[in-house]
Amino acid sequence: MSIVAKAIAQSDEANRFLSSAELTKLQDFFNNGTVRISAAQKLSANQQKIVDDASQRFWAQCPNTPSNSGNPQKTALCQRDQGWYIRLVSYCVLAGNSKPLEDIGLDGMRDMYVSLGVPLANLKLAMKCVKEVAMGVLNSEEGALAAPYFDQLIRAF
Amino acid sequence: MQDTITAAINPADEKGSYLEGVELEALKQYFQTGEMRVKAASQIGDSAASIISETVAKSLLYGDITLPGGNMYPTRRYAACLRDLTYFLRYATYAMLAADTSILDERVLNGLKETYGSLGVPVEPTIQALQTMKEVVTQRVGADAGQEMDRYLDHIIAGLR
Repeated sequence: MSIVAKAIAQSDEANRFLSSAELTKLQDFFNNGTVRISAAQKLSANQQKIVDDASQRFWAQCPNTPSNSGNPQKTALCQRDQGWYIRLVSYCVLAGNSKPLEDIGLDGMRDMYVSLGVPLANLKLAMKCVKEVAMGVLNSEEGALAAPYFDQLIRAF
Repeated sequence: MQDTITAAINPADEKGSYLEGVELEALKQYFQTGEMRVKAASQIGDSAASIISETVAKSLLYGDITLPGGNMYPTRRYAACLRDLTYFLRYATYAMLAADTSILDERVLNGLKETYGSLGVPVEPTIQALQTMKEVVTQRVGADAGQEMDRYLDHIIAGLR
């Protein structure tokens, strides 16, 4: 559900047209549409590089972790998941809220990684590294739109 | 409900892909028309009651439908008609903001024809009022936004037929 759908659902619940506060919020959202598009494009184009660089940073701080265990299959799976989270952040930037991340990647996430035996503390650090590298790829405006979703993701681990 | 953004994200996620190409281009256009949509939604919301009064005056008020025996007589049924026309206007405005018709299907059209049938509400005058509403709305919001509202009011008309 995007920021637009959310405002509509709220209004519908109350049987009214959108309030001027809601419309102002949507106007702000539309106003930086171009930045949203370019942020999403950069995350997409640089996903592999972000994941690779972030892994190097992560392993330097936390060498004893499944993705650095010498098992290439594990490394690939961990990096694949990190790439997926970057994709979900790009959806959030376009949607103007965190629903895509929550619905697709956070609901049930802890149970899944606990069951896989992946230490959540390590993942949290890995995601911090992903955020740092991603912020370097985006300009400050794009970064400001994407950062809250990376932060929410980091908090969730 | 879906909106044009989630309608693009959900299938992309099914494929595990980023939004790109045509989908991203569609979103870009949606963002670019956002200001027009917000402005029109604000104008319509601010003058909804007067849009409905004018719509009724131009379509139904002077016909047999408001006389004894007509479907807008007595006052209770007149008020119900105003209420329904206001629903149509409000949901068409939501759909215009979302640039997506799914909310109309889910919240307005689902079962509407059957409900009207069982209540004896005539479809033709309802459609006539919706056609008039298109003109009245366009006068208030201008040609571009009016054309966009037409899409969603036409969707309701098509669903009533």
